Amino acid sequence: MPDTTGANGLREDFRVVGKANLPGLTSYAMATGVAKYGTDFTVPGMLFAKILRCPHAHARVLSIDETAALAIPGVLDVVKWDDPIFDELGANPINGGNRPKYLPQEAHYEGQEAGCIVIAESEALCEEALKALKVEWEILPFITDIQKGQDPDYPQIRGPELLAGEESEYRPGMATSDGYQLMSKHYPTDPRREGNVTWNIKVDGDPDEGWKKADFTLEYDVNIPTCISTIPNPPASVAYWGDSMYKGPGQKIYIEGAPHRRESIMAMYHKSSDEVVQEGLFQGGKYCDWGLRISQEVTPLLSKRMGGRPVRCCNTREETFDLNRNERHMHMRLGVTKDGVITAVEDNTLVDNGAPGSSTMGSVSDRDWGGYYTLKCKDITQRFKVVDSNIGYMHTCAQFVPYNWDSITVAFDLIAEKLGLDPVEVARRNLHGPSSQDDPNPVPSFEASLEIGKKLMDWQWHPAGTKRLPDGRLHGVSFRYAICPRHSFMDYFCKLEYRDGVVHFPTQGPIAGWFSTECFTMIAAEELGLNYEDISVDYDYREKHSDQAGGSDGVTGHGWIVKECANKLKRKILESAAREANRPDDAYRGVFSFPAPPSPLKGATADELDIVDGKVVVKADPSRFVPFSRATKENVTAEYGGYSPKSAWVTGFGRILDTMNTSWCEVAVDDETGEVEILKYCVVPDVGKIIRRTSLESQIDQVVFFTQGCQLLEEFIQDPETGVKLNGNFLDYRVPTTLDVPEVTKEILELRSGNGAYGASGISHNLANSHLIITAIHNATGVWVDPPATPDRVLKALGKCEIGGSK
Amino acid sequence: MEAKKAGISLQDACAQAGARIAAMPAKQKIVTCPLCAEQFLSYEELTAHYLAEHPGCVAPVKLRMTVNGRDCSLVVEPHLTLKEVLQLHLGLTGAKQMCDRGQCGSCTVILNGRPTLSCNTLAADCDGKTVETVEGIAVNPKWQPLIDAYCRWDAMQCGYCTPGFLVAAKALLDRNPRPTEQDIKEALSGNICICGTYPRHSQAILEAVTYMVKGGAPNA
Repeated sequence: MPDTTGANGLREDFRVVGKANLPGLTSYAMATGVAKYGTDFTVPGMLFAKILRCPHAHARVLSIDETAALAIPGVLDVVKWDDPIFDELGANPINGGNRPKYLPQEAHYEGQEAGCIVIAESEALCEEALKALKVEWEILPFITDIQKGQDPDYPQIRGPELLAGEESEYRPGMATSDGYQLMSKHYPTDPRREGNVTWNIKVDGDPDEGWKKADFTLEYDVNIPTCISTIPNPPASVAYWGDSMYKGPGQKIYIEGAPHRRESIMAMYHKSSDEVVQEGLFQGGKYCDWGLRISQEVTPLLSKRMGGRPVRCCNTREETFDLNRNERHMHMRLGVTKDGVITAVEDNTLVDNGAPGSSTMGSVSDRDWGGYYTLKCKDITQRFKVVDSNIGYMHTCAQFVPYNWDSITVAFDLIAEKLGLDPVEVARRNLHGPSSQDDPNPVPSFEASLEIGKKLMDWQWHPAGTKRLPDGRLHGVSFRYAICPRHSFMDYFCKLEYRDGVVHFPTQGPIAGWFSTECFTMIAAEELGLNYEDISVDYDYREKHSDQAGGSDGVTGHGWIVKECANKLKRKILESAAREANRPDDAYRGVFSFPAPPSPLKGATADELDIVDGKVVVKADPSRFVPFSRATKENVTAEYGGYSPKSAWVTGFGRILDTMNTSWCEVAVDDETGEVEILKYCVVPDVGKIIRRTSLESQIDQVVFFTQGCQLLEEFIQDPETGVKLNGNFLDYRVPTTLDVPEVTKEILELRSGNGAYGASGISHNLANSHLIITAIHNATGVWVDPPATPDRVLKALGKCEIGGSK
Repeated sequence: MEAKKAGISLQDACAQAGARIAAMPAKQKIVTCPLCAEQFLSYEELTAHYLAEHPGCVAPVKLRMTVNGRDCSLVVEPHLTLKEVLQLHLGLTGAKQMCDRGQCGSCTVILNGRPTLSCNTLAADCDGKTVETVEGIAVNPKWQPLIDAYCRWDAMQCGYCTPGFLVAAKALLDRNPRPTEQDIKEALSGNICICGTYPRHSQAILEAVTYMVKGGAPNA
């Protein structure tokens, strides 16, 4: 639904919003190296700390003999997991409460922090001390192969303390660090735990009815491997204690490196916002990664232990090579009519639950939304077999959710193949109308995107394995659709102030890579009749407003709140200006006052005034104005909080067809070498309304970077014997470089029907996918290759190579 | 009242980079023992202290470098990398730590005229050499169109890897002032951006080249 419920939602006369090439507010600081991230902060006289990491896939510390470590000159302390100092820590509200033991005794994946923290005069000494520790580990059974781990006879890897409460309404074993627990609601009808397996089953409609309508059954597998993402800057912090003018000596925490939701540190250390100083803004690309790491939280505690001396705690890359996507195997059964319409969906998913506390966004929490719920088909069964594992910890919600977009992408290709239909036509026949699953009308956004996508691609679908390029390589194409998502379920807040002639936008940041404050500033400037440069963005860690908006998806809903706030501020400024202009003559104000000339606005009411081009003008006579900087001597503040309006085309959480996108891929496959080349990659999103064009386009590049990497290059390998990572670094785990990424052809539509500011929605999440390139390879070769489609895997799938493909 | 400009301008950022360079100690007046934090007034006192108190431990070494045009005389532990010395001893944060082992290019500096991975380079091996970091590039007006183009084209998202890209780009333009798009892709292929901003870099560098030739970069 267009933005009609707020102020100026249907605005057409954009001066600021939509502009390209406006430098980011802090871009120059980032580019020149003066922006400081967690690892960049140093304090004179600081000590260093490093946390012991488990060298086994699953193990418990039985004892630590630190004698040799402490004998090393410069090694000052070894703080063990059972040290009472950890009891001082309060719960971190953002991390979903206290961990059972802050520093665990038991590690659930190789590389997990556990056992102890060493403190020394240098980082090298910390490393030496860690090596000198005599740690007795009790090696425990582990699962890094969920196919094996699902066996009921496999030893249980989670102890009773982690399984307690599973019978209650929510499954704590599946809870995320960030409040997504609600999405993993336990259904009383779900089968009970069996060994390492929990079930999550959801049945929509009447599957029997769906199967009765089908003319044939389509059965296929979609295999999605684990992939990795890393925060570019290995998480780190430095902290010390200083004097508080009001609370006394040593009562104030100075910490840098933990900018993500500053409330965390306050809550953990039982401090008010006046007692925690954290001015640093930059946190690196923490995309949908909601948790602070121990290295970012623990330094004040260690500093206190060391008598207030600053302590810095850093990590290496290899120590922070985190999961971005859990392994998932979807065995799909579809009932389909001879016209290509899906009548029943049965998704039997085997999925990695990760280590305890991992985000359910990687396992089950996408079951209520996504591709299945865009179909006319109402009879949908999803059976999630969720296997606890020691593969790794999923801090993030991944860019790829919901995964069922990928099983639908493959479905359309298979139906097309079987019936000799263009998959675009198959999609058209299956996508329900905008207002409900019974709506037979086409979705305007989808149709507009299709039309352009087909033109950009010069779209000519062909059956699999039937076309060769002049150079002899096989040619393949693929297509997918998704909704353009937005975080309109989130509750946002904005405050704007007119102070001393300038509009201030106070925010705590942090700056994480999605240019949200820039978007908000553009919206505020637009609504206030000002230029982007006129708004003063005041970064202040004590402010409530946070940039944690949820990428482009969140910026639009959050932007709606900013738009309303700006209009509230505008109204208050005009009221104040009118009040000031219409004050009675002030000759009697004082003996030393001189009569001021009457204001050009005198006689006008607030309703008769407007702000245009940096001036407060009388609408009926724009020659009567005062500069905006002299609109009023009062300080004027406006606040606004809440949600953006509900979309008219919404049929449930995450089921919104108001703005959609299509992605298209064309590949060439060399069936002699197995090499895959992306010839063309097109994205046609209807984002509703472009707020900030340059970063919007960049986010499309980013998801294609993820998408291409995980389908062609990235392969996470663990030793099956030990469960230890074999390629936790950028040399052995290949991510795309400038020479790998395809050029992405983009045409961005603005149909203005999203429910963010001006009808905007986002693009980032649902453009990331695991199978668009894989589907194009299938169209080229006629065989399915599980990602990543490295040359050896392609040749193996073609039957031309015996080796290759590690799984 | 004059309105404040939104954000940090190119001039502000370059001035900050200049201030960081100016704040680099030309010589350490006090030398701190890295093992026990005891402080000394000279390198000779420190080495004597090592012999007496930390026998068997390898003492720090003396190091002279020219960093961003300034001569620096330092006492550093022999195992420290150039990246660590730039940050811990000289206060420069432009060379970033991402991969720890020369795979991502975030720590790139120009050492004796060649782009070099500072996380893989021992500081002790840089004695007598010249080092140029992104801060040094920022203070040179010649390169401000490049920085401006990077920012106008959002050739960054979170910005962490950006200085490394900029140094690699500057090194490319030093040896090839009129690169093609393919030249740029090849020159930057040793740098990793987790935010996937690669296409923007070519766009920014090609635009910067134009402005560097004819002048008049929008914000420089």
